[in-house]
Amino acid sequence: METLYEILEDIQPDVDFKTERALIDDHLLSSLSILSLVAELEDEFDVTIPAVEIIPANFNSAEAMWKMLQRLREEE
Amino acid sequence: MGHLVSLLLRGTHSDLTSFFSLLFLGVFLPAAIALYAITPSKWKKYALLVTSLGFFRLVSGELVLYLLGSILLTWGFGLWLGRLHRDRDAAVKAAAREDRKALKRKFLLRSRWVLGLAAAAHIGGLLTVKYTGFFLRNVNTLLGVELPIPGFVMPIGVSFFTLQAVSYLFDVYRGVQEADGNVLRVGLFLSFFPQIVEGPICRYSETAGQLWNAGGITWRNLTLGLQRILFGLMKKLVVADRLNGFVDGVFTGVDACQGGVIALAAVCYTVQLYMDFSGAMDAVAGMGQIFGVTMPENFRRPFFSRTISEFWSRWHITLGAWFKDYIFYPVTMSGPSKKLTSAARKRLGNHYGPLLAGGVALFCVWLCNGLWHGAAWSFLFFGMYHFVLIYLGSLAAPVVKRVNTRLGVKPERLPYRIAQTVRTCLLVVVGELFFRADGLRAGLRMFRKMVTDFRFDSISIPMLKDLRIDPQDFFIVGVTMVIVFVVSLLNERGIVVRDALEKKPTALRWAVLYALILYIIIFGAYGKGYVPVDPMYANF
Repeated sequence: METLYEILEDIQPDVDFKTERALIDDHLLSSLSILSLVAELEDEFDVTIPAVEIIPANFNSAEAMWKMLQRLREEE
Repeated sequence: MGHLVSLLLRGTHSDLTSFFSLLFLGVFLPAAIALYAITPSKWKKYALLVTSLGFFRLVSGELVLYLLGSILLTWGFGLWLGRLHRDRDAAVKAAAREDRKALKRKFLLRSRWVLGLAAAAHIGGLLTVKYTGFFLRNVNTLLGVELPIPGFVMPIGVSFFTLQAVSYLFDVYRGVQEADGNVLRVGLFLSFFPQIVEGPICRYSETAGQLWNAGGITWRNLTLGLQRILFGLMKKLVVADRLNGFVDGVFTGVDACQGGVIALAAVCYTVQLYMDFSGAMDAVAGMGQIFGVTMPENFRRPFFSRTISEFWSRWHITLGAWFKDYIFYPVTMSGPSKKLTSAARKRLGNHYGPLLAGGVALFCVWLCNGLWHGAAWSFLFFGMYHFVLIYLGSLAAPVVKRVNTRLGVKPERLPYRIAQTVRTCLLVVVGELFFRADGLRAGLRMFRKMVTDFRFDSISIPMLKDLRIDPQDFFIVGVTMVIVFVVSLLNERGIVVRDALEKKPTALRWAVLYALILYIIIFGAYGKGYVPVDPMYANF
């Protein structure tokens, strides 16, 4: 989880990822940031994130992202 | 009434495509509601399906076969994809752990082939009927040959229901939607008559189940639905149709007009298009509500947008969402794009890094968006214009942020927000000028005149009369725009006027309703001297 926070803070330094719960709904993460983030998460966690997973529910909070990563790892 | 009914039973009816025509509002819709209301609950879905196919038959004649073919293909390919998923799951379950990845890959490739075939069948049909003429005309011009140009007739709504069919198949392929074995449910999802002419482009998960399980008509849904239709009727009859003579006159007689008049016509066209299209979407939402179905909203106060990118998330929302989900993300999430983003981010940083792959995907989106609107260079230009604006906006964002910080400008302050909104509206108007112009050359000529000859002194009462408009029309349009603006402002603050009215005393509710009806009767553009205007998005 700490690695995830590091990646997120690197991509968007001015957001508090530990408390934010509506990163997409409140437009704190743009679609371009998502592109960066997905590429970085795939490299770091060795998973494939398909386009179908790019939905607000999976990216609204660091916790939701973490759950998605866990699930994708299990499925692989 | 008898005459209208006999008209309805005779031949094909293009008037029916306008939800605000007498034939539709006076005969077809009441008949559809009555049929639905008297049909027993468990048969209501079939009543909706028969009405929808009957509507298509009345509008497009034997082209209903195209729609039926599309329904069968969608249903069949959906089942094929569903079957592949089941076979994959069974095979993966039975396989040893180390073989599972390869098995999944094998089935993924098969599914891709099936999806490719399904998309080729649907998009191929659309490309054939919509773009063959454009393609052959350009080949003839470029090569100096005279290939015969077939005169395909486009089934009404083909651009809309094709995208719905592809979205369903894509979702089944991705595993987020179960393949539906019920061909009638698939048929109702694609053919539901309020949505088939101008959209919105619905997703299977949004409307298929609602339509299939729609219950009886309630008094509340009927009155709220009719109110929404009336509001759309006001936008269409009082504003859009009233502006049509002026807009049409200027756009077809460009040479005689000064640049200022062209600019005014471009603004009027933008207003006309919004009132026409969003008015039709109000009617669709209202009709949906009468049948107990919540249709997706296609507009969210677009002229309050601060950037072009935001504008497109508020204007024709379902088309933008379709392009985002089925073009933008699949392109940016493809293997090569992800590698490019990863590599570029390391060299160019967090902001500019993703802009390379994002730019390619954005280009594809806007190329398709332009072409979707029509087979003409002016539509391609329209798409590219918005691509460039959005891309430049993304490129410039960090610079603008730095400049604002240095100058102490606060972007959240009202004057800054208003300036951004005005700038966005002006850019939209320029785009719409090219969209409406009679070809790209005419659009460029108009734009040049607008910049080099920005004068209005040729405007006179006789000149306006020639264009079938007078100052009184502009006044009525202005007042109605204020009404729409106030309602939009309330919506923007989360207040839905119809819901708020529902809580008011009955007398006040009926007074508002009658006032709206009277307003439309008194100020609507119809009768002698007015030419009924076809729904503007029905031909896309």
